[in-house]
Amino acid sequence: MSDDDRELDFIRKQLRTALPPWHDLELKTDLWPRMLRRLEETPVRFGWFETLLATSIVLVFAAFPELIPVVFYHL
Amino acid sequence: MRGHPFLRAYMAGVLLPTWFLPIGLAAFLIARVTGHIPAGFERAIIFPMAVVPNLWGIWNVFYVALRLRERVSIGLFGALLPVLLVPAGIVLAAALDLRFYTLRQAVVVLPVAMAVYYLAWKYGVAFANRIVEVR
Repeated sequence: MSDDDRELDFIRKQLRTALPPWHDLELKTDLWPRMLRRLEETPVRFGWFETLLATSIVLVFAAFPELIPVVFYHL
Repeated sequence: MRGHPFLRAYMAGVLLPTWFLPIGLAAFLIARVTGHIPAGFERAIIFPMAVVPNLWGIWNVFYVALRLRERVSIGLFGALLPVLLVPAGIVLAAALDLRFYTLRQAVVVLPVAMAVYYLAWKYGVAFANRIVEVR
């Protein structure tokens, strides 16, 4: 065993004694179903007001295309 | 996920403008390469790149910290942000000597930006808030 190997071995042993062993690394439950439930619990509703707003935005951009970069500047 | 509600609110607020940024940058680069944008215009990028996402995050932190959820719709609260952002954009453009943006345009842009922000906050930021369980 070379000096380097001995030094590495020493460091390895020191690290093992310094860090407590980890148990129970696995999660108790699968989190993905909970995530899916949360995504589905409040469906996105697009009402008449939102439709009116979106249409107005499209119309303004169509009528004044020079405003598009100015709006982008604020996004 | 229970701890650090303000950090989660900040991250949820920052998410949408951060996603939008590469699209904006790509549009800017294409316009720059095709010669539709004058030289020196890249200084304007600092505003959408640094100021806007941070303000979205901070604005969402205010929404959570002030417990406005029960009183004000998140869309309405988000729509108020351009009232700060548009004047800040004008000031920065003037400071950087960028003349692409006049006061008259700002007055026209403000309601459009508010409408865009209303939709972005009502659907985008609200969605991110739900995901990170910000109440």
